[in-house]
Amino acid sequence: MKILVCVKQVCEPETAFSFEASRPWLRQPATVRYQMNSFDEYALEGALLLKEGLPGVGLDALSVGPARAATVLQRAQGMGADRAIHILSQDEPEALALATWIAAWARAQDYHLILCGAMSQDAMQGLVGPMLAELLGLPLATSVVKLELRPGQAAIYVERELEGGWRDCLELPLPAVLTIQSGINRPRYPSLSNLLRAKQTKPHTLEATALPAAPARLELVAVDPPQRTRAGRRLEGDIQDKARQLAAILRERALL
Amino acid sequence: MSPDSARSVVVVAELRQGELAPVTWELLACARRIAPAAGLALYAVVLGQAVQEAAGRLAAAGAAVTALQGPGLALYNGQAWREVLAQALPSLRPAIVLAAHTTQGLDFAPGLAVRLGAACLTGVERVAVQDGRLLFGRPAWHSKAVAQYAAAAPLSVLTVQPGAFAAEAPAADQAAGSLEVRPAAPLAGSVRFLGLRRAAEQSADLTQAQVVVAAGRGIGKPENLALVQRLAACFSSAAVAGSRPVCDAGWLDYSRQVGITGATVSPQLYIACGISGARQHTAGMQGAGFIVAISLDPQAAIFNLADLCIVEDLTLFIPAFLAECTSAPA
Ligand SMILES: Cc1cc2nc3c(=O)[nH]c(=O)nc-3n(C[C@H](O)[C@H](O)[C@H](O)COP(=O)(O)OP(=O)(O)OC[C@H]3O[C@@H](n4cnc5c(N)ncnc54)[C@H](O)[C@@H]3O)c2cc1C
Repeated sequence: MKILVCVKQVCEPETAFSFEASRPWLRQPATVRYQMNSFDEYALEGALLLKEGLPGVGLDALSVGPARAATVLQRAQGMGADRAIHILSQDEPEALALATWIAAWARAQDYHLILCGAMSQDAMQGLVGPMLAELLGLPLATSVVKLELRPGQAAIYVERELEGGWRDCLELPLPAVLTIQSGINRPRYPSLSNLLRAKQTKPHTLEATALPAAPARLELVAVDPPQRTRAGRRLEGDIQDKARQLAAILRERALL
Repeated sequence: MSPDSARSVVVVAELRQGELAPVTWELLACARRIAPAAGLALYAVVLGQAVQEAAGRLAAAGAAVTALQGPGLALYNGQAWREVLAQALPSLRPAIVLAAHTTQGLDFAPGLAVRLGAACLTGVERVAVQDGRLLFGRPAWHSKAVAQYAAAAPLSVLTVQPGAFAAEAPAADQAAGSLEVRPAAPLAGSVRFLGLRRAAEQSADLTQAQVVVAAGRGIGKPENLALVQRLAACFSSAAVAGSRPVCDAGWLDYSRQVGITGATVSPQLYIACGISGARQHTAGMQGAGFIVAISLDPQAAIFNLADLCIVEDLTLFIPAFLAECTSAPA
């Protein structure tokens, strides 16, 4: 059985962006720290748990991104993925383009299961997994918070998280695509021995430009700072001053 | 722009237990903003087993409604939704399709867009017309910026963030729209639907508390929950809550989670400690009377909806505040 997990490299949430009046509108600082999208960590852990519970599972981790994305693939291998696939691309492509490249790779591989995170932490679009399912013509379950696959079974049982504490219970024939919601498991840390091994092997690398392209369907025309919906008064001074001001304001409003 | 009445903006209604979900009226409000600006007709589609009543209510509000009815549509099912919508939509000649940014909309919209050769944007919060073009705004880059997109395809499928557009009462002289009922018989899909299950109960003291002190991933380690608890103890009726990652990690029970997949709270005071302010969280607390946010990140999105912003390390700030509360005269 072969499983594919798609992992994205994201800049850490604390990244300080600066706004500009013209393209590219948003700039990152010179040094940015990157990490694996947290939803993908849950997807990867889900795949690792399946691999541990079933005989003969091969687990591939795939990332689309520039050269620096190799570090998330190393982390994925450090956690226990068998193979790393790197689709090298330049700037951030549209979700459809990305899904089209991944589909081109996956078509030739006979995966039984493809797992993605429910969305990426930074863009929060939730598009790649569902688009991939559509392009491959595979059944899809999004926002999965429970999955069970017994040895020899041709279908996977999943629960999707809905609003208001409800879950949708489904059985999908394999092959299938799932998008994994946070909290489904506790992602493990990479092991040192796996990490060392990962650093010695090179990922299987493909150039995005050599893969089928999707037409651009969106044009980014501006990036604005977010709107404020409230006063947003910033307390100034040292930490004691701020503590004093907060207490005074809360007392004034009879909240303390 | 010349009105092109042949093309339309189509609202895909969302039902909960057979009733129109409140977000459907927000989609309609969003569509009403788009339709005249872009010269589009306004349509709505309702999918279900017996949806004439719900469809009638939408028609009364002025939309031209197509009810797509069939036994295979009794409960939401992504395969059936994509199939029925992909068949029915082209006859309405949509330029824009609006679905809700919910677990349902997010499930069917991306695949539907691929099938229809459409552009797809999720979590849309703003619509504007600029130089004759429609622009759609959505949060991006960890919610620290709003990205504005224009479609480069003739059709766009959008999911619209609940709460972003206020539902409007129809005008007194609103003429009712038409209502057409069409049978829909999706193919028996390969996915087996085994029913809904209730998984989580909410904690009553959370929704009733006058003060909610919430811990986010920024607390760093479970030991720091004690600080948040001591902060809550400064108030007479306070509950401790958390963002999803804190509950995912098992530091707090899921009954304490605030947000779209947790509780919606509207206390007099909400103190967010180490929470970045993702929409999924803020949707559950933006109605609080007074919002105080503590984060190390001066650009954290939570500060955009806070009354008071404190850029500090919470592990230092909370002790400083506790000292202030105990020493200063009340
Ligand atoms: C379908 C779906 C449903 C979801 N439902 C919910 C939901 O109901 N509720 C919910 O909360 N989330 C929900 N999420 C997750 C949501 O998208 C965010 O991932 C989550 O809210 C982030 O939590 P956080 O702000 O605690 O963590 P982060 O985004 O990691 O933010 C941590 C913050 O703490 C700050 N910080 C770090 N260290 C310190 C320190 N020492 N002192 C002060 N500040 C510090 C950081 O600068 C940052 O601002 C959902 C996601 C999906 C996809």
